[in-house]
Amino acid sequence: MSRPSREVASFLLPWAAGLVLLTLIPTIASLVLSCVRTEGGVNWRAFSWVGAAHYRTAFGVDGAYEPSGDDPWHWRTLGGRPSDPQFYGALGNSLFYSLFAVPLALCTSLLAAILLNRSFRGMSVVRACMYLPHVLGGVATIVIWSWMFNPRFGWINQAIRGVYLAIDPVVALLSEGGTTGWTVPDWLYSPAGCKPAVIVMHVWMMGGAMLIFLAALRRVPGELYEAARIDGAGPWHRFRHVTWPQITPVVLFNLVFGLIFAMQCFSEAYMLQNRQQEDGLLFYMLHLYQVAFEPPYRFGYASALAWILFGVLAILIVPVLWTSRRWVYYAVET
Amino acid sequence: MISGRHIAGRTLLYAVLGVLCVLMMLPLIWAFVSSLKPLEDVYAFPPSFALSDPQWSNYHEALTRLPVLRFLGNSLIITCSSVVGAVLTSSMAGYVLARVRFRGRSLCFALVIVSMLLPAQVLLIPRFLLYDLLGWVNTYKPLIVPAWLGGGAFNVLLFRQFFRTIPAEFEDAACLDGATMWQTYWHVLLPMARPAVVAAAMLSFVYHWQDFLDPLIYLSDFTTYPISLGLRMYQSMAGTWANLLMAASLIALVPVVIVFFLCERQIMRGLGVIGDRGTGNRERGTGNGES
Repeated sequence: MSRPSREVASFLLPWAAGLVLLTLIPTIASLVLSCVRTEGGVNWRAFSWVGAAHYRTAFGVDGAYEPSGDDPWHWRTLGGRPSDPQFYGALGNSLFYSLFAVPLALCTSLLAAILLNRSFRGMSVVRACMYLPHVLGGVATIVIWSWMFNPRFGWINQAIRGVYLAIDPVVALLSEGGTTGWTVPDWLYSPAGCKPAVIVMHVWMMGGAMLIFLAALRRVPGELYEAARIDGAGPWHRFRHVTWPQITPVVLFNLVFGLIFAMQCFSEAYMLQNRQQEDGLLFYMLHLYQVAFEPPYRFGYASALAWILFGVLAILIVPVLWTSRRWVYYAVET
Repeated sequence: MISGRHIAGRTLLYAVLGVLCVLMMLPLIWAFVSSLKPLEDVYAFPPSFALSDPQWSNYHEALTRLPVLRFLGNSLIITCSSVVGAVLTSSMAGYVLARVRFRGRSLCFALVIVSMLLPAQVLLIPRFLLYDLLGWVNTYKPLIVPAWLGGGAFNVLLFRQFFRTIPAEFEDAACLDGATMWQTYWHVLLPMARPAVVAAAMLSFVYHWQDFLDPLIYLSDFTTYPISLGLRMYQSMAGTWANLLMAASLIALVPVVIVFFLCERQIMRGLGVIGDRGTGNRERGTGNGES
């Protein structure tokens, strides 16, 4: 192979410049920053080396403090007050959100793709309906969803009230008073309801994963189904032994990237947080943002938080990749 | 007998799909109905889909209460200049990674993949410090320049995968005619990669249109706000006018919907190649001279 000619280099130049200036150097800078104290914003002279102190701050717990009933519940589990009072809560929130939202969205998108993987009139309209939310997902749909989830004037609680009304005669048979005393959730205005609301939004935007599944399903060779049918395989066996092995690479892809995006979820938390949630929507990235870009602008500690998130993502994803050799099947290429 | 079962199955399928489509569109329908209600109806209990007297003037009011048109214009400037850069530079890189053999190519490709997995949040603060050092804070440069420097690893991968599916004969013919690499890329391969161009353009349009964190960090003067930040401002200022807020949100979605329906057909073809493994393209059976 020859050295890249000047012409090849000119094609690669913008990408390579971006890689070096905006990815490689910042990555190293971020590592250095995570060991530096930078109180008071961007003051280049005021940086001082603190080693691993930021990482200790994040994980550290002051055992001398006796948590009371007013403190967050996890402080008691930790047996003291964390030196960053919000770190464990934020990490827990993001983990909770990801571990529910990602598998749910994965299953929904796969089911939707299987449903759409056939030819019928109006297919493109249905596909557009399912994919559109993924494209629209952003500040505007967050605002719209928060109105959907409005406890009093939103459509969702109205639907729930409708269900209560419909099942009332049945419930009345079983218990006195029927559904009259039942309450509707406060969704974004309660610690328990805020995360399910955001998870619903996430599942609503599963169209991207669905499209990738659909493309993969389209590529499963038809002969395989023919052969399975001749062997007398039913729909479940055809899915389990023909479809599934063929789509495992994209299952892995959607799972890994779904986890990465969910753990970095920011705008939902930023847009929808309020006092009534008692930090229930304080996601990890929101905490990081507040540390870095709100006074006293602790860029150093925020960099450490970023690397801790990287570590957490690695802990989540490496086992998935590790076991993937056992369950991901790559067709032998000819 | 078979046709009877067939018809029943079809009806069931259409019923399920119809319900799903309505469920997916429900937030938008609800927002649209709310946006047309007068204020006292929006906050009437119990809420309903009924619209007695559509207030189209809500849209006019939503546009004038805050400079929404200005936010939209800002978003268009940022988004369009980013999309051009992203498509151009990522297709250039994707082209050489797919079609030209040179030393270090597999290293470059590995770097594309690694930079895709490298989490964005790690780069957030150093990039901010870099742009601050360059004096770019409070300008659009931090939002646009990265797109002109490679346009995102995902787009590079997309183009690389797509270019591999184009038969080598086209390039060979251009080569015989004495075309330079640039001419081959611009006149032969890029026009053939239309689905990938459309897919990459749409994806980066959506990405930049919806981007919230970067404008939040870099822009502080509200006259320069893109629509995402503008809506956030709307939410905190006009939160008690849900009808106007819904109108403004729907207005913000219009460009994305237009772009989506313009590109929808090409997307499936463009994105289909992503899942292909790096080494070949078996079902198309088009050797590219290096398998």
